[in-house]
Amino acid sequence: MSTEHGQQLADISGYRVRLDLAYFREADLWVETLAGGRARVGLDPLGAETSGTLAQLALVAVGTAVTRGQPLGSLEAEKFVGPLVTPLSGSVVATNEAVVARPSLVEQDPYGSWLVEIELARVEELDELVSGETVAGYFADRVERYRREGVLAE
Amino acid sequence: MKAEQDARLRVLRFGRVSPLRSQTLWHAIAEGVSNGAPATLSFMRPDSPYVSVGYHHDLGQVDLDACERAGLPVYRRMVGGGAVYLDEGQLFFQITVAATDLPPARHDALSRLLTPALAAFDAAGLPAHLDRSGEILVGDRKVCGHGAGQIGNAVVVVGNLIECFHHETAAGLMRTPGRATAAEALRLMRRYVGPEEGSSVDPVAFEHAAVRSYAEALGREPSEGRLTGVEREALARWDRRLASPEWQAGPARRRSSAWQLKVRSGVYVVAAEHAGARVEASVVDGRLDALRLEDPEASGGASAAVQALRGRPLAEVPAVLADLGAAGRRLTAAFAAASGGEVAVTSRARAATSQEAR
Repeated sequence: MSTEHGQQLADISGYRVRLDLAYFREADLWVETLAGGRARVGLDPLGAETSGTLAQLALVAVGTAVTRGQPLGSLEAEKFVGPLVTPLSGSVVATNEAVVARPSLVEQDPYGSWLVEIELARVEELDELVSGETVAGYFADRVERYRREGVLAE
Repeated sequence: MKAEQDARLRVLRFGRVSPLRSQTLWHAIAEGVSNGAPATLSFMRPDSPYVSVGYHHDLGQVDLDACERAGLPVYRRMVGGGAVYLDEGQLFFQITVAATDLPPARHDALSRLLTPALAAFDAAGLPAHLDRSGEILVGDRKVCGHGAGQIGNAVVVVGNLIECFHHETAAGLMRTPGRATAAEALRLMRRYVGPEEGSSVDPVAFEHAAVRSYAEALGREPSEGRLTGVEREALARWDRRLASPEWQAGPARRRSSAWQLKVRSGVYVVAAEHAGARVEASVVDGRLDALRLEDPEASGGASAAVQALRGRPLAEVPAVLADLGAAGRRLTAAFAAASGGEVAVTSRARAATSQEAR
């Protein structure tokens, strides 16, 4: 494991993974807790890879109230439209317009390409995310499963 | 009983339906499959022409006035892709399965659900192949438009057997920046869309072969079926939704200053301006096919650059235009603005854009 700019990074099964973030297992998203009861959300490296090169990204408007597991927007790659769901309930307070303008940034830099910031309505939902010492094992298990299913190259 | 039903491939044949129903039926089926209905292969044909736009597509790229004059409705669909002209010369098919039955990688899921269609195209008289971008082609001509989407817990892939294509009508319904780009769009549509003129296409053979091929690929027994109660209720809801102005407007998106028309995967007509420089170009598989360059300071040089650029990869644009000095940088920046999405953008072109902006 290495530390760069305060980020704890580790190479896990061929992926550069941030261990200091939390992960939403239902939708391949990372979550960074911010000050003031806010959280930033983005697609994790596996989510970015399985989505493919994004051609379109639509996000709900700033101010929209969202509920965990419900739509936060939509993604499109290779003419395939899929939902983007929120890992946390709250109010969307910022969207990353640079990524909306160039969705392919997500594939190039999943951790640098955050999607939304949410002001949390239920802080306790953070406890349901994968975080801390379990992140490395969780990520390795997912990679192994995806490779077993033929989703990822060996 | 449930397990037995789940092992079937439900086949739904709707025949000729209204333009609205040719879209809303499969949205409703996706809700049904999401709620436990078996994997479903469906067929239908619109009984009159219309225009459809992909879920994220900018409605501004359709000439809505021309559509209105021609009496053609415009419906936004909940799958991807661009604006397409659809009419009774196209047989629609849709395969809808539970998302959990597919690999999580979208490219793989799409490939799995499009590949069985190839046997059907072959049976119809079109020996097609699937290219790396998921386009179904005969030679280099597109014979099937497709899109995919996840609706609830179901994934639907929609496609059409293009029996014949009305290129002039289709091109005339797209908004273009001028006559030259309209003419170029028509030229490329004639060149790359629809079966070769005189091709004999058999839609009945297509349907039969599609049922066999999808049943085999999915390991299911085909069984003729009908809509469930859940799907009939969903259909009424989707009828209202697709006909509403709010749905037609689509999700909020940033308007691009450039114009881009996709003819098929890898084939585009693009146009953009930057600081008085203007570029109009067609791009075929990453190479410049035809182009026009305008800049107030590069009259003679622009002609030479056009000759030099024709047939070259987009990535070489900055190097070729460098000889034109400031005009070349403006034109390169216009190219960078015109490109985007699936048309490659070079880092040098982006640098030129930044330099011009400063």
